[in-house]
Amino acid sequence: MQFNAIQIILVAVWAFIVGIDQFDFLESLYQPIVTGAVIGAILGDLQTGLVVGGTYQLMTIGNMPVGGAQPPNAVIGGVMSAVFGIASGLDTGAAVALAIPFALIGQYMITLVFTVMSPLMSSADKLAEKGDTKGIVRLNYFAMAMLGALFAVVCVGGLLGGSALGTSLQEFSDKYKWFMNGLDAAGKMMRFVGFATLLRIMLSNDLWGFYLSGFALAVVIGSIEGTAGATLLLVAFVGFAIAFYDFQTRVAMRKNAGSGNGGGDEDGI
Amino acid sequence: MASNATHYNNLKPAQPLDKKTLNKMVWRSLNLQASFNYERMQAAGWLYCILPGLEKIHGDNKEDLAISMGHNLEFFNTHPFLVTFVMGIVLSLEQQKTDISTIRSVRVAAMGPLGGIGDAIFWFTLVPITAGITANMAIDGSIAGPIIFLLIFNGVQFAIRFFLMGWSYKLGAKAIEIMTENAREFTRAASLLGVFVVGALTANMGNITVALEVANGESPIVIQSILDGILPKMIPLALTLLLYFLMKKKNWKPVMCIGLLLVIGIIGGLIGLF
Repeated sequence: MQFNAIQIILVAVWAFIVGIDQFDFLESLYQPIVTGAVIGAILGDLQTGLVVGGTYQLMTIGNMPVGGAQPPNAVIGGVMSAVFGIASGLDTGAAVALAIPFALIGQYMITLVFTVMSPLMSSADKLAEKGDTKGIVRLNYFAMAMLGALFAVVCVGGLLGGSALGTSLQEFSDKYKWFMNGLDAAGKMMRFVGFATLLRIMLSNDLWGFYLSGFALAVVIGSIEGTAGATLLLVAFVGFAIAFYDFQTRVAMRKNAGSGNGGGDEDGI
Repeated sequence: MASNATHYNNLKPAQPLDKKTLNKMVWRSLNLQASFNYERMQAAGWLYCILPGLEKIHGDNKEDLAISMGHNLEFFNTHPFLVTFVMGIVLSLEQQKTDISTIRSVRVAAMGPLGGIGDAIFWFTLVPITAGITANMAIDGSIAGPIIFLLIFNGVQFAIRFFLMGWSYKLGAKAIEIMTENAREFTRAASLLGVFVVGALTANMGNITVALEVANGESPIVIQSILDGILPKMIPLALTLLLYFLMKKKNWKPVMCIGLLLVIGIIGGLIGLF
């Protein structure tokens, strides 16, 4: 099946939008159920788009971006499965399967973008130092555009190159898997820079115990299956109790000290 | 971060933010994750979201604006659909020109727990139910499927975003009344809670493990399970403390720490550490 220029451009535009939408905008346009229908409409077969999108949607329900984990990318998966379903007239299951290599590529691209964006934070620091509000806005739009453009390129590539491209991309990424693994691990570790920066500022010497006890509590709650999902909330309850108790005690101490200075013995009796 | 100021120069509370500015920030909150990255996650996006408010609040003092922008660029991560709750509280503290360590601590303490709540509301409840029903409509060939999905999902999303913004902005103003009377004690308690939450984040969001095994006939020795036997989440804790040490005592810049981690990651990938 040949596509005309307008269709290719529209697919690129939609891929650009949903590439961003997976983290921003409405965070729902990218869902395969929507994307399948849109790609179907663009390629002139709304029915197939709806069916493939719906099928892919059911597959991803158990596979949400929970807690920052990146499952195979549903955005590219949704676009490409609709493309394959319509272009090659494959049955739904086969179309979805052919889209999986692209979904994995999408996952890698996100890892790459999130890593590349990390050093950019020191430019953001410099902008903040100058009070350059427009610069911060530009930086954010630039990052969004970069993500969208990458997704548009891969989807148009898939549209023109077909499933053969997916296979060769997968072979390529299998070959350099160690590099992606390493990058992924580095990415997972970078958040510790963020934590350490906060600690550098917040942690006075007498608060070390609270840092470690917060850590310990989260380890315990997080390792129990029934409570793991609510770990941070439960930890916050306990932390709040300690903080509030500390607050009340210190306020009471100061007030007592104040009245004590007044010289009255009545307080004690 | 460059500035280590503890207070704003102009301590006179700014005019309360008007409805229009608050709403503008709700719309911006959609793009919280615009510049998401592994180091500070949503930090720059967070700053982008609250900028309209900060510009109003610190509009009369360029230096205060820079200070505020600086500390609002520190590590930030919360649930994208619930972020307006944190925005409201932080903006009301900014408006009252509360001291910076209090704002920081409140921000950290508020952002942490929301992640789990948001996941439970959106990813475990709303999306599976609505998408499950509407996906079957789509498979039956009905265009109503995707439309109903978008309407329900976004209806809930926007209702929550607007409600939380207004509610928490008022909540913050009330908290300040209690706070100003006992400012020193409050700052300490807030820092305590903040540090406690960062400790929990270290364990909860630190999910790096090593895949190293030592050959030992039938039963290879799995290094990770030995580490877990000593202290679960040992690597996240050790790395955080190492980076803290490098930044605090050796004056490393965050960007150098990132470089170090990239080197560790890629070399580790090469030798099969991860």
